[in-house]
Amino acid sequence: MKMNPCAAIIGAGRTRFTEHWEEDPKTMIGLAGMKALESVDKGIRRKDIEAGYFGSFLYQVTNKIGLVPGYMSRELGLNVPMINTEAACASGGLALHNACLGIESGRYDAILVAGFEKMSDRQDKIIDDLMFAADPHEFEAGYNFPGLYATMMTRYMYEFGKDDPKCAEALAQISSKNHHHCIKNKYAQFKDKGEISVEDVLNSRMIANPIRILHSSPISDGAVALIMTKPEIAKKYTDTPIYIMSSQEVTDHVSLYTRNKITSVMATRLAVKQALKETGLTIDDIDIAEAHDCFSIEEAFFLEDSGFYGEGEAWKNIHESYESFKGSGHIPYIKNGKELTVNLGGGLKADGHPVGATGIRQPYESFKQLRKEAKENQIDREVNTAMCHNVGGTGGIATVHILARDVQ
Amino acid sequence: MSEPIARRNLKVEYRLRTTKCLNCGDTYFPPKYFCNNEGRSSKMLEVDHFYEKGKFYSGSVINEPTNRFNHLNTFVSAIISFSGSNINIPGRITDYIPPKDISVKDLIGRKVIPRFRRSYSDGRDGLIHYSSHNFSLEGDYYPYQKYESKKPTDINGKPGIVGYGVYLPKFRIKNDEPALGVIERGVPFADEDTTTFAVESGKRALVHSAISNQEVRKCFVGTESSPYAVKPSMATVIQVLELGEKMDGGFFSGGIDSQFACKAATDLIIDAAGLVAYPVFKGKYVMVIGADNSQAAPGDKLDYTVGAGGVALILGRDDVIATLDHYLPYTSDTPDFYRREGEKYPRHAGRFTGQPAYFKHVTTSMNMLLKQTGFKNSDIDHVAIHSPNAKFPIQVAEEAGFGKKQFDSGLVVKRIGNLYSGSSLAALSSILDIAKPGDRILMTSYGSGSGSESYIFTVTNLIEEKRKRVISVKDQVENPNREYINYHTYRRWKDIS
Repeated sequence: MKMNPCAAIIGAGRTRFTEHWEEDPKTMIGLAGMKALESVDKGIRRKDIEAGYFGSFLYQVTNKIGLVPGYMSRELGLNVPMINTEAACASGGLALHNACLGIESGRYDAILVAGFEKMSDRQDKIIDDLMFAADPHEFEAGYNFPGLYATMMTRYMYEFGKDDPKCAEALAQISSKNHHHCIKNKYAQFKDKGEISVEDVLNSRMIANPIRILHSSPISDGAVALIMTKPEIAKKYTDTPIYIMSSQEVTDHVSLYTRNKITSVMATRLAVKQALKETGLTIDDIDIAEAHDCFSIEEAFFLEDSGFYGEGEAWKNIHESYESFKGSGHIPYIKNGKELTVNLGGGLKADGHPVGATGIRQPYESFKQLRKEAKENQIDREVNTAMCHNVGGTGGIATVHILARDVQ
Repeated sequence: MSEPIARRNLKVEYRLRTTKCLNCGDTYFPPKYFCNNEGRSSKMLEVDHFYEKGKFYSGSVINEPTNRFNHLNTFVSAIISFSGSNINIPGRITDYIPPKDISVKDLIGRKVIPRFRRSYSDGRDGLIHYSSHNFSLEGDYYPYQKYESKKPTDINGKPGIVGYGVYLPKFRIKNDEPALGVIERGVPFADEDTTTFAVESGKRALVHSAISNQEVRKCFVGTESSPYAVKPSMATVIQVLELGEKMDGGFFSGGIDSQFACKAATDLIIDAAGLVAYPVFKGKYVMVIGADNSQAAPGDKLDYTVGAGGVALILGRDDVIATLDHYLPYTSDTPDFYRREGEKYPRHAGRFTGQPAYFKHVTTSMNMLLKQTGFKNSDIDHVAIHSPNAKFPIQVAEEAGFGKKQFDSGLVVKRIGNLYSGSSLAALSSILDIAKPGDRILMTSYGSGSGSESYIFTVTNLIEEKRKRVISVKDQVENPNREYINYHTYRRWKDIS
């Protein structure tokens, strides 16, 4: 691995993802931010924070607020530079990427990065609101977001799954696996729901054929925050900083229908390629990944777009990995004896998907796992590298971050 | 959605407009005005796919739609590819209720045909958004029709009908027992209304006549169920069918929406014929459309006879298939049927709509025209009469001394219901579908309020050559892919539009 991390994470905090009827967005960020500050092992003062990077998608619509920096200045009692980024479901990932650039530029030593979303305040219209992340012609063609991913899934099953029922089963196994992973995650939206079987998924309500409700991430509220510093000063704050070894953002057409291929996400392919190149790693060097499973098909795409499995091959391997798993812990994907465990806290599907928070929740989960702080949800094998994969829309943007604990 | 956004969108979506780089051939949707390959040296050409077939690339059944599309319940949205230009666009499959156990994969590769339909509306007082990003499956109800403009061979003749187009929706409702002879009726799908009927019938009339759309410089839409109290359907027809020469997103053509109950369109046929013969009018053709999503209050007697659809005639002097030879209107202020502004359904005066209204006016204009022209009943080959039901026109025809052979071809009301403004035009069209050169057709229309006019047309030799381009009324009525729905669905769909 190349030895030039772009930033270090020294603290992390989050709220539970659920329907927070009593909370508003700024109090959720305040709570997550306070937990992140308090989690720094050797302590950090609020006034050491030199900038704030926030990610949120729909706050102007769902909560009728703008000027997030102004709100956060008031909440934090700071007058430092702050910025809010919007990139649909990748708002958090893009905030993290911009934060990395801020640190890499040399401008800031320590910053706060947070993602948030408050979706339950507009439940009746949220399905329409989410279409802001798509092309207006798609909206006018009657599409909703599940429908767009279902269009990708239909084509994937047509081109690669043919008529093999195992393809549909494999895509259901992704949901089943992610629910299994969330049960011991105290912050997860569905931690109390228990196990979800493949049959449960395949018999659940059809919302956009072939996508069923249990293939889909939920509507959630929540916030997550990270405290980041320059890598060279990280150990001043903690003995176990988690380093961000690469931070990549790649864009592609917002519209599904103008892309050459809809059975993969080019932005992911390019971002992963660049991240691996920058770190000198291969995908097989990655131990754990937080993949953007807004719908289970997107996790299958990640497995192919990252190069872990070949094009059109993910479903067979997912099926084989799931069927061959005998333990009670995290269920890994297997390739020639190599294990890649994905979405250890349940992913978007089971941990929850407060849109702008997801891209920060992914490094939060990786931070906890790499530091062995995930408590009862800690993975039962030694892991050192993690990949965080956050997608906006149907692939109009992807951010990929590679995190590592021991970098020498 | 704001009005300026709606205007920008419709310029693209009404015609499935793309742009193509003349240098490298790349095509763009949404239209772009420079090519990604050629940059500033691009030469971009606007292309539309309005008359093309597409192919289902992939899609999904939307079971839980956005609020905008809630009225459609469950439907298929898809990516449609136009292989000729290597372009994909998003669209919705219309006139299709997906079966519960559908495998969407099975639709991949199916050919689809663009349809002009209503997408959604911004509430009851906001804009209605239409688009051609709606597609019917080929091999289902609608056949594909190619539009080709042909140079006329017989020019500057007597004004008359140059072409016609009838649009009857795919869905039907069957009456438990015939209501005044009406067995079944057409029902608008949840995305259809009078404006979509007008556009689709006008499109068919262009295909049938094979004239240049640029030479149609007037368009009249007669209706009593306009989706807007103020905003003409005719402007939408002109924008979609591009009637008149184009300039700066608009067209050098005019027209109006008219209302006179069921004769809102037919009384303008004479005006259209007059215009094409008038030297100041620079166009060669006038389009007259009668279209209605015929309204009736739930449970009213009319609720069992009303239909839905549109009929378009193109009047001109070149390549005429039926000359307009005689015309006589008759009008009085007779309040038999009316709808006040803001009211949803019309009211009618029961038996008063019969003898003193319909029968008196229809009989007077018909008999007087025959008297004035000196024609005997036997000189008339076919009779088309406004058909509020299947009983009234038969009674009128028989009392006037016409035999079944003369009026039977026009009695389509039995299977399509009362098309209101399109009623007598549908009867005329079904006769034109089978008429021979030299046949003389008497058409008598009726509009409550009240008035009637009669026309006499004579069929020319050109009718047979053009006939192969038309989708006949009979083919639509008897289409094996027509679909029957129940009363509940019928009421719901009818009230959306």
